Amino acid sequence: MALTDIEYMALEDCVGPENITREPAILDTYNQCWGHKAVFDQKFSTRPAAVVLPGSAEECQAVIKMCNRYHIRFKPFSSGFEIISLALENEKSILLDLKRMDRIIEIDVKNMHAVVEPYVNIYRLQREAINYGLTVGSIGAGPSAGVIAGSCCHFGAGTTMVSTGGLGRNVLGVEWILPTGEIFLTGSAETGAGWFSADGPGPSMRGILRGRSGANGGHGIISKVSVKLYPWHGSPDLKFEAAPGLPPSAKCLTQVPEMYKTFVILFQSQDQMFEALSRIGRAELASALMGALMFPYGEGNDEQWLAIQEMREAGMNFTEVASKGVALVIGAETKRGLEYREKCLLKIAEEMGGHPLPLPPSEQARFFSAATWHFGFVTAAFRRTGDFFVSPTGDGSPDMMLNLRKEAERLLQPYMDKGLLQQLGTAEMFLIPSEHSSVGFHEENVSFYDPWDDDSLQALREVAQASEDPNGDFRRFGVPHLGGGLQVEFKSHVHQNWGPIYDHYDVWLRKIRDMLDPNDVGDWSGYIPAIFP
Amino acid sequence: MLNEGLIKIVGGNNVLDSPDILNDYSGDMSFAAPTRPRCLVRPGSAKEVQEIVKWANEENVPLLPISSGPPHFRGDTVPRIGGTVLMDLTRMKKIIRVDQPNRVAMVEPGVSFDELQTELAKEGLSAYMPLCPRKSKSVLTSILEREPITMPAHHWDCTDPFLCGEIIFGTGDVLRSGEAAGPDSTEEKWKIGNYQITPFGLSQFDENKLVSGAQGTIGILTWATMKCRMASSFSKTFLVPSENIGQLFDLTYPLLRSRQCDHCFILNDLNLASLLAKDADEIRSLRESLPAWVLVVSFEGNGELPEDKVAWQESDFREMALRAGQLRPVTSLSGLNTEELSAVLSKPSDEPYWKLRYKGGCGEIFFLTTLDKTSDFIQALSGLASARRYPSTDMGVYIQPVVQGTSCHCEFDLFYDPANPSETGKVKGLLSEGVAHLADMGAFFSRPYGTWAKTVYGRAAVSSAMQKQVKQIFDPNNVLNPGQLCF
Amino acid sequence: MELKDFEHDMQRCSRCSYCKWIPYENQQNMDFIKGCPSAARYNFHAYAASGKWNMSYSFLQGRIDYSDAFQDAVYRCQMCGSCDVSCKVVQDIEPLEHMQTLRMKFVEDGQILPEHMLFIDNLKKEDNMMLAKKADRGKWAEGIRVKNLNKEKAKVAYRAGCRYAYDDELWPIVRGGLQILLDAGVDVGIWGDDEVCCGGRSYQWGYAGEITKYAEHTMEALKAAGVEILVNPCSDCYQAYKVLYDKIGKKLDVEVLHITEYLHRLIKDGTIQLTKEVPMTVTYHDPCHLGRLAEPWVHWKGKEVKVMGQMICHEPPKKYRRGANGVYDIPREILKSIPGLKLVEMYRIRESAWCCGAGGGVKEAYPEFATWTAAERLKEARSVGARAMATACGWCKRNFMDAMEEGADRIEIYDIIELIQKAM
Repeated sequence: MALTDIEYMALEDCVGPENITREPAILDTYNQCWGHKAVFDQKFSTRPAAVVLPGSAEECQAVIKMCNRYHIRFKPFSSGFEIISLALENEKSILLDLKRMDRIIEIDVKNMHAVVEPYVNIYRLQREAINYGLTVGSIGAGPSAGVIAGSCCHFGAGTTMVSTGGLGRNVLGVEWILPTGEIFLTGSAETGAGWFSADGPGPSMRGILRGRSGANGGHGIISKVSVKLYPWHGSPDLKFEAAPGLPPSAKCLTQVPEMYKTFVILFQSQDQMFEALSRIGRAELASALMGALMFPYGEGNDEQWLAIQEMREAGMNFTEVASKGVALVIGAETKRGLEYREKCLLKIAEEMGGHPLPLPPSEQARFFSAATWHFGFVTAAFRRTGDFFVSPTGDGSPDMMLNLRKEAERLLQPYMDKGLLQQLGTAEMFLIPSEHSSVGFHEENVSFYDPWDDDSLQALREVAQASEDPNGDFRRFGVPHLGGGLQVEFKSHVHQNWGPIYDHYDVWLRKIRDMLDPNDVGDWSGYIPAIFP
Repeated sequence: MLNEGLIKIVGGNNVLDSPDILNDYSGDMSFAAPTRPRCLVRPGSAKEVQEIVKWANEENVPLLPISSGPPHFRGDTVPRIGGTVLMDLTRMKKIIRVDQPNRVAMVEPGVSFDELQTELAKEGLSAYMPLCPRKSKSVLTSILEREPITMPAHHWDCTDPFLCGEIIFGTGDVLRSGEAAGPDSTEEKWKIGNYQITPFGLSQFDENKLVSGAQGTIGILTWATMKCRMASSFSKTFLVPSENIGQLFDLTYPLLRSRQCDHCFILNDLNLASLLAKDADEIRSLRESLPAWVLVVSFEGNGELPEDKVAWQESDFREMALRAGQLRPVTSLSGLNTEELSAVLSKPSDEPYWKLRYKGGCGEIFFLTTLDKTSDFIQALSGLASARRYPSTDMGVYIQPVVQGTSCHCEFDLFYDPANPSETGKVKGLLSEGVAHLADMGAFFSRPYGTWAKTVYGRAAVSSAMQKQVKQIFDPNNVLNPGQLCF
Repeated sequence: MELKDFEHDMQRCSRCSYCKWIPYENQQNMDFIKGCPSAARYNFHAYAASGKWNMSYSFLQGRIDYSDAFQDAVYRCQMCGSCDVSCKVVQDIEPLEHMQTLRMKFVEDGQILPEHMLFIDNLKKEDNMMLAKKADRGKWAEGIRVKNLNKEKAKVAYRAGCRYAYDDELWPIVRGGLQILLDAGVDVGIWGDDEVCCGGRSYQWGYAGEITKYAEHTMEALKAAGVEILVNPCSDCYQAYKVLYDKIGKKLDVEVLHITEYLHRLIKDGTIQLTKEVPMTVTYHDPCHLGRLAEPWVHWKGKEVKVMGQMICHEPPKKYRRGANGVYDIPREILKSIPGLKLVEMYRIRESAWCCGAGGGVKEAYPEFATWTAAERLKEARSVGARAMATACGWCKRNFMDAMEEGADRIEIYDIIELIQKAM
């Protein structure tokens, strides 16, 4: 159902004719994203009726008001690199591409926060902030992920969570254009005091912004965010160059920056590894941490496969390292701090039966880049097999996450054994002691599949269905993380199915949505519908 | 009988409506207008709380939950509306669970810091505490109301150390927050390792945030889990004196940035003396020898290599102090030694509550701002005090960095003799004028108590409207503490 | 190849948007991290390489047909290859080759830009891409005593290329290059009026036929003249001869060099001595066709296989061209060997260089976009404190000059040949 000419003109008047289109050729560049084949059985999700590019909060507001007037659904996005960030529930919907809103408004160095617009990606903010000895938390989607997307709108977890937190914990303020078109500044920003607190007066309205997951563009537009910044101990001068022994296309850090060290520690069992991570968390040692899946570097898959075979011939069982190995980065302001952290780390490793693997400087630097900026994650997710999927995930104590891990392996291993998912010897896992394990561990279990291979796709769908089955083995580990495919997903309607067994949270979520969006113009495909279909 | 419905729920012994009790609870030490409650009801379980809330909805009776014992200062326990039933949760006093490896404790509303610290000590843990809370202070209320803790490096988000909770909304519905929700009972969850330790909220909204800072207007918690820290086998506490608060900022900022300290806050001479001295005379005597400002910093010896940890942190700290204008951290000052201070900081205040020792009465003004702006606020309030002939030397100042130093809690304690009408009047006027003036200057009153609410919400129209809508969801009949905040 | 041959790649584009930026590993100054001029200048995703994948896939699925919007997104693109470099950091797919094939499909189906048609018609008649007469092609060399390869044999053939042949403001460069070779005693000749276009630019625009014709002509002409080394002062031509001819199965039987490569040899063996001081802070702009696009062609025929369950590999292994093996060091070594000259690098260099803006038919069809692109590069050059920018391609220099005429940041632009001359 396309827009009428009147409706189109009304939107055009909001942003100017060069910032809106309803050309089919262009519209079909806004409905193709990873994960779609699994969710929609084709690369295409619903074609939007138009794509609009607002350049300011005021233009966003004007567009949304038109949506209310003409009952057009809308959904905003920045990079659009999330499985359902472009998915629309129906055709009379528009996408708001926030590409024009790309300013870093301020970096308050002393008070350690930055205010940015939607199209500022995490890496750009990280590289700006390190000029001041600061950095921002990074998420698994990698350097291109939007700061706002990760902190406010989507799931938002990554390897730096050990020292920077994640999942919405870093939000100090938002400028939020509600589905009604009203602009809502939270906390201290509204009172003009500054962008340092999103909470209050009284109850914190971050409570309706997001929870463990974000609303995935379903409740308006976050046009600015203030996020916490964290210390960066190294120099701002980072040198990426062709490393010895690697092809010239492989630009990377060749040395771990001064004031940082990287370790890969292999434990003898997962139980020991989990215990060690708890201790590492409690000791507040790490600045970034990830499972040590030691795929050798490969310029392409063919090169990587060759390198994998060579490693195996040399007796290196890297998939064993993946399941029982941890790569972590420690950093400190001073040499003595770094020495302390290293001493502590090695003590824990030794007592927990772990030993650091000897790595050449270039490999250490590669792990540093991966853990700090998620370099290599996009390659891992898409180049190898074509697509990936994250489920089940969880947040909780190490005991619980170990149980989740075991259940996940039980689910995924048979598919890997049959070659229907990429065979890693173990399910690839993201495991991070969040905020130095003071709020438990964060875990993601990842499958790599080929969506264009019917058998692999079927396997993935079975995995997704099993992990999202409210009556299945994962029902006790928390509501599915909702980073992707919610109402538009393998098993329909996560909220509808999980709400009743999770204290009827769906009832409250629906009421919040109704409150925020009385005219039902926010696309709910990644959020919650007004009525379950 | 007026309260028959309540008696059926909790038993006659737990519904109190004698005139003396009603008078006691009609006011507090703030300047909130006294209003007598209808009665005091004392539930002993979550089920009883829920039934009371449902009853309140049926009978259209306002409820005001209280978990701490007196003295109360902020007007938050004074009914706004006549006929309010005070729900005293102090009977619910269980420390349900202490988990040493995961550093988490689960408590009911009536548990005080004193009680909790005793239990935690058995497990080698300690609570993250606000600055010397009064003995009767409810732990749960403190964390729910976002009282700042003294260790900013461990304060990752505004709601820390609050993790999960069981919430009874104004509708009477129950929701356990975050990973506390789900198909199992709380106890069953423990069997799979679910210890209710993640604070991210459930799904796509964060119920924790909605009940935080809400003064019981959105929901009542019947238990909460909270982060704890490892107890210290020893600690090194330092005082950094300065006549110039700005110079202390030059040290505090890099210290906060490094996340390498434990206790970290600034007090003026009066507040430091009040914390440590026993009575007014001692306070006066001690403060004479104290510098105008003191930064209190500690490095706690705990964990894997406690001595190494403290040694490193201390060395770094001393270098920072030198760089920040040759500041000199000391472990003793004017007869004080920091071990004594460390002991004071590790437990609730001795009686009398430290804020009452100087003059018997204390009016508080506190808000959030950034550290660099606090000196402007100090100057402004001192100016207002002067204009009202309130001696600024009777004003305690407490600056507590929060959320890992991204902002700070700035607190003024206006001490006065409640028996002296002139002093009382000055403080009353100063509180009102001060809040308005400081808000105009950019102070963010994130926790607006009592009479501040009108001033504060007057500057937050959209938040106010939004919160009212949220209130409509969780307490459509406005039975929870009506008249409080913007409701 | 046909569009359908890219279907699997189309399906695998994940919308990571890396194609819009230079590789994250190469990002230095956050003001200069964009890689794709089209995506930077134009709003919609269609203008990025990922958008081209999407449109092609949609077209193959019958969801869209040819349209002005489709054509606009396809042709407002310099075909500079930045997207290709960035994409291949994270993927094994071929964005640039796909875009080339897409253009060829457009041309095949008659979806032609009228502005391009003008140039192609002239090319067919006059063998040049400058809307000029064939008879005037040799004028740039008037007065220079040099072998005529139509009649004589020589070891080295020096080809001006269309831009240098007809753009008289640039004649000092092309003449200078030839003169240096002559003065160095190189056995070199030129074809004068009978020099023909390499066919490279028309190929970029999607015209597959012309390049084959010129390849065959060139092979014969080289053979007839006994040439062993073909030297080009123009990077476009260099890339056409070295890479495109090999790609279309017409690999030349001579050594193909850019002028900088040849001069570098002469400097290294002492034939050319750079002795005069050139006190200047200079930055170097990597021409796309000398850099990332000049990586030698890789012929591959095989199939996809899966290993480790679902990991997609090839049999035999397929070597992807990722742009890092172009000519980057030689121009820099030349510059560094000039006495007194200080080389400062821009933020986007080597395979991550920002395009000058002239390629892909953009200068001809969308001149404003071409100069906008150049202006962005000039901004960057100024930002690193350079007084001058050196380059190694006539199209680059022309486009920078045109941009400055239209108000872009001003900086002196030199071809490397000019700087060598200054130092001799």
